[in-house]
Amino acid sequence: MSDCQSVIRQLWEYLDGELPAGEAEEIREHLAACAHCYPQYEFQLRFLDALVKAYAAREVPHPEFVRRLRTTLDAIGDDLT
Amino acid sequence: MTHPADGRHAAFQAEALQHLDAVYRYAYALTRDQSEAEDLTQDTFLQALRHWEQFRPGTNARAWLFTICRNLFLRQRERRAREEPTEAAVLDGIASTAQAFAAPADAGRALFDAPELGDVIRKELDKLPAEYREVVELSDLQDQSYADIAQVLGVPLGTVKSRLFRGRRLLQEALVDYARDAGLLPPPGSDA
Repeated sequence: MSDCQSVIRQLWEYLDGELPAGEAEEIREHLAACAHCYPQYEFQLRFLDALVKAYAAREVPHPEFVRRLRTTLDAIGDDLT
Repeated sequence: MTHPADGRHAAFQAEALQHLDAVYRYAYALTRDQSEAEDLTQDTFLQALRHWEQFRPGTNARAWLFTICRNLFLRQRERRAREEPTEAAVLDGIASTAQAFAAPADAGRALFDAPELGDVIRKELDKLPAEYREVVELSDLQDQSYADIAQVLGVPLGTVKSRLFRGRRLLQEALVDYARDAGLLPPPGSDA
């Protein structure tokens, strides 16, 4: 069973899906049973979720730029064939 | 008129162009300017098309495009010879452990329910040193693995992790500071 310190240390790798299955399972079990670590996990989870939502509202390429780029790429693609 | 069903161009269309939005956003994260981001995005796709035979099918096309985009950006910046010499020093000077921030009790509820949170995050993200912002962007917006980010940036996996964790941690600290200033959280020392 993992101890609290190692769980907190690996929390982001766990949330990012970067840990091997066995280690991830140990952390999952620890979080389900630990009143100290679970709120930290929940905070990090909500933080990452808020980041994704904040990003989603950010700039997207202008449709006119996308149209011009596609036209340019098609013309170059023709030349390369 | 549609393009002739040439294998090379058709493959480029199918594999690369679906990542146009992602590449633009990454270019924007690097340049912080719409016009420069458009130029960089265009240069990235032009170079990708010209060197399409170097892409290995079945590998991560988005990461491949990010690598081209970043290399072009660095080359342009070099050409301008306006490197900020302080960047490395700033990074070295930030003493921070590479692990999750110890959130104050109840910070989550007060902070993440704030309606202005998205604006605050975007503002604080812009303030992050470029090295951190870039990794947070690649991981949290572009959903790239640590290994793919390491490939894009040409740095070891450990560097990706430390930059990502420090970047997130700096953001979290800034958000908690914001929440305290806005009265959403009690000042430090009183939140037992």
